[in-house]
Amino acid sequence: MTAAGFIMRNALRNKRRLLLTVLSVSLSLFLFATLQTALRELTEPQTNAEAALRVITRHRISVATVLPQKYLNRIRQVPGVEAVSQFTWLGGVYQDEKNFFPQFAVDPDTIFKIITEAKVDPLQRAAFERERTACIVGIKTMNRFGWKVGDRITLTSEIWNCSPELVIRGVYSGGIDESNLFFHHDYFDELMDGFGKTGAFWIKVRDEAAIQPVINAIDSSFRNSEAETKTETERAFQLGFISMFGNIQMLIGSISTVVVFTMLLVTASTMSMAIRERMREIAVLKVLGFRGSEIFGLILAESFGLALLGGIVGCGGARLLYSNLDIYTLTQGFFLKFEVTPHILASGLLLAGGLGVLSCLAPAWAGIRMSVLDGLKEVD
Amino acid sequence: MQAIVQIRGLCRAYRQGDIEVVALNNISLDIPEGGFTALMGPSGSGKSTLLHIIAGIDRPTSGSCVVRGVNVAELSETELAGWRNSQIGFIFQTFNLIPVLSAFENVEMPLLLTGLSGAERRAHVEAALELVGLQDRMHHLPRQLSGGQEQRVAIARALVTDPTLIVADEPTGNLDARAAADVLELLTVLNRDAGKTIIMVTHDPKAAGFARRMLHLEKGELLRDEEMRGV
Repeated sequence: MTAAGFIMRNALRNKRRLLLTVLSVSLSLFLFATLQTALRELTEPQTNAEAALRVITRHRISVATVLPQKYLNRIRQVPGVEAVSQFTWLGGVYQDEKNFFPQFAVDPDTIFKIITEAKVDPLQRAAFERERTACIVGIKTMNRFGWKVGDRITLTSEIWNCSPELVIRGVYSGGIDESNLFFHHDYFDELMDGFGKTGAFWIKVRDEAAIQPVINAIDSSFRNSEAETKTETERAFQLGFISMFGNIQMLIGSISTVVVFTMLLVTASTMSMAIRERMREIAVLKVLGFRGSEIFGLILAESFGLALLGGIVGCGGARLLYSNLDIYTLTQGFFLKFEVTPHILASGLLLAGGLGVLSCLAPAWAGIRMSVLDGLKEVD
Repeated sequence: MQAIVQIRGLCRAYRQGDIEVVALNNISLDIPEGGFTALMGPSGSGKSTLLHIIAGIDRPTSGSCVVRGVNVAELSETELAGWRNSQIGFIFQTFNLIPVLSAFENVEMPLLLTGLSGAERRAHVEAALELVGLQDRMHHLPRQLSGGQEQRVAIARALVTDPTLIVADEPTGNLDARAAADVLELLTVLNRDAGKTIIMVTHDPKAAGFARRMLHLEKGELLRDEEMRGV
């Protein structure tokens, strides 16, 4: 027999309690991994090399305030700007309120010069550019609703007083977000009785070195105008958009803390019970010559192992589950991806191990401090 | 014969609230190497306290207890633990085997603290279990053994490190007459044939009859010291 074997026997002596404890810890860690993944997906929008060259110009006051369309030509002439498109959030639903997904009114001839990573059939793209009521839809949304090219759909905006009737002329795939729907900004203007405004401008910049000069040039060009602008990188824009939901980080952080604290109580309670039941045996071990540090090591290893096992089941289970689920469909497009990253996995396991250590400190200390005679009296 | 245990002016007092209870009062005695000594006396006489001090699981209030040249009272807790492992084999009244371990593993426990290899540990454990006649029960859990067999496993555990002293606290207190006789016979054999020094607490005169020397304690004081003929 080895020390590890002895620890294992002790851990397995009450199998039902072991199972319940491991399940409690794993459930807590599963929730932790889920919350951390949700937080990451919400607060750290995905990016890629193409996205890094995109900037967005919006109204200085807020993303909800519109800009005049006439800014388009002046932005186009700014040195370093490769392509620019109007970009208005429709905020529409398809048939039912729950069928929500992102839709944007854009300039059809430039949009795919901006999202260059999106792959679209050239014939479909030409058809999209040609037809005023045409739209092009990301593959995820096509699959979600079972749409086909040629289908006619009507979107009802919950922001604007309009309901675009669109015909699907193409499908795009690739890029960060495969759930968008793009349609003609001209058609949107027409529905809005010559609106003459746009939510923002989406801009492709020539190269990384040009990003800051372009941002400065655009914003200074409209300073002291009727609608001052704020130009920022696509990533900064997304983060700003997310911040409109409120302090998600704090909310999820608070829930995570409660989950972790609950886990601590569960493990500490289990270890206290397990050690209290074994006070006599701890005293016997001392009589046999086990030192305080060796007894502490045995208790610590058992608690650590138990918590870590729960962590592996919980975090590993979350990773396995979410990697095999169609999160996009399941969350009705709210999350594009839901990846329990190695970093979250490691954090969860570290947390589990740490709590395993923490939860055994008090009972282990009591066991070490207890005199041999007091321990033997537990029976006699 | 050379004294293996030398006790001089040993006192042990406990405090119960404001009252000081004297468990041992100025005890002085020698226990020779290879002896089989019974500590007798009524409840509260201090016999178990004396045994616990000799075994290094309790400390005297004053006086000294020297076991093979080491004053046990001067050792730190960590030193005492190591000392107990190498010098003392303890047999309890209630056996105190670890219920989740087999007889073999229970006997092996003290050897985990030594530098012995797995094969060496196995050889020692098998020899100890053979000595107590339980080589065919080595993979049984304590609950699968009778009380007498459990106590024999505990004796094997006490023997396995080849300690200087075997101390037994009422080793037959939880056994029926036949099992008790077997255990006492085994202790006698260990003393007589293997030369083990044994100190046993008992209040059973029959059990004490197996010893070669009997020390009577009462109210914390040594009343009589008798040489016995043995049974």
